[in-house]
Amino acid sequence: MAKNGIPIHVGVSGINAVDNPGPGIGVARSLKEDPELNVRIVGLAYDALEPGIYLDWVVDKSYLMPYPSQGGEEHFERLLQIQKEQGLDHVIPNLDAELPFYIKYANRLAAHGIGTFLPKDAQFRLRGKDRLGELAEKLDLRLPRTEIVTSHAALLEAVRKIGLPVMVKGCYYQAYRAATPHEASAHFHTLVAAWGYPIIVQEIVAGDELNLVGLGDGAGGSLGLVGIKKTWITALGKMWTGVTIQNRALLQAAEKFVRLSQWRGPFELECIVAGDSLYLIEINPRFPAWSYVATGVGLNLPSQLLRRSLGLPAPPIGTYPAGKLFVRYSYDMVTDMAPFQNMLARGENP
Amino acid sequence: MSGLSRLSVSPEGLAFDPSTGDTYSVNRTGLLILRTLQDGGSSQDAVRALREKYPVSATDAQRDVADFQGRLRSLGLWEGNGRG
Repeated sequence: MAKNGIPIHVGVSGINAVDNPGPGIGVARSLKEDPELNVRIVGLAYDALEPGIYLDWVVDKSYLMPYPSQGGEEHFERLLQIQKEQGLDHVIPNLDAELPFYIKYANRLAAHGIGTFLPKDAQFRLRGKDRLGELAEKLDLRLPRTEIVTSHAALLEAVRKIGLPVMVKGCYYQAYRAATPHEASAHFHTLVAAWGYPIIVQEIVAGDELNLVGLGDGAGGSLGLVGIKKTWITALGKMWTGVTIQNRALLQAAEKFVRLSQWRGPFELECIVAGDSLYLIEINPRFPAWSYVATGVGLNLPSQLLRRSLGLPAPPIGTYPAGKLFVRYSYDMVTDMAPFQNMLARGENP
Repeated sequence: MSGLSRLSVSPEGLAFDPSTGDTYSVNRTGLLILRTLQDGGSSQDAVRALREKYPVSATDAQRDVADFQGRLRSLGLWEGNGRG
């Protein structure tokens, strides 16, 4: 298969490469680096200033999308319109809030020739933040003391039970450290306004943060796993540097998760190691923002996903070296107003 | 695999644990003890190696090796009793 073969149009969301970066650019870069597939990246943006729109060496064409939470039909119709205009063979959703839509509409999208590679709804809910206790037990991992709350009174009771400081987490995104009940209340209201209920209150476990990106084949097998230790995180808790690791407990937990859940698609396992104990923090149902690390060490998971989804031959799943350093950096670019104007006026660029 | 044997150690004395991602640096004498223990040598072998390379008394060398093993143990990298 030659790189100049028939173009494969892949929709990629999360192209917001900002201080809290979406995973899309890393996923798009990985797809572009497949040595054989001629992938054209269709950026699915929610804001005309998402940096991916302007990175024309990574994203070939961008569209402004309606939020899936505004109603699935609008999002669905927009995808069909994009397909009609310039082709759309597959979509890799990279934002948590999109997953319920794409899982629900997977069959309808497939009927229109738009592929996805996602878990079923029951599998998706299995790793929900409100069910992590059950899952941690099955994976032989510990769980920090956790309370799920749906009211302010319940929040204060949870803080009292767990003891300060605590982490206050939104149901989809964002987590804040609270050292006082007042801080916990402020974070609670911010998170409810942004993401709704429930809110998760969790004990803070001190230790090193170990993460893993993986891809499940939907039949209990793994299409690649890469573990990393965060060595530098930003004020927002995002990894800025890391180092690849071969941690047996982490890899075994991921393999077990894939086997037990029959997970189909990408995921991120977030853990903290404290002494001999490995604590489960959460399992994200998508590629993480740092997933390009896996491609960098030889496991191109987005390419594996696409090939598997399209029924194309995929290279054998290899191993990866420990001790490879991941360094994120910021970069400034200056460009014309045209892409911005295109996005505002026409909802697409170019 | 024990903590010590899985360490990857550079000639400059930088050690990396591929399981935890932890990195350490050791000085020249520490590197000599580390290499000796990693190669399967005993505490006495490490003492001998130190004395062959540096003008140090047996008592001081034994204390240095024991201290170093204690440090390794506190880092979870050494499970021996320090007498090797």
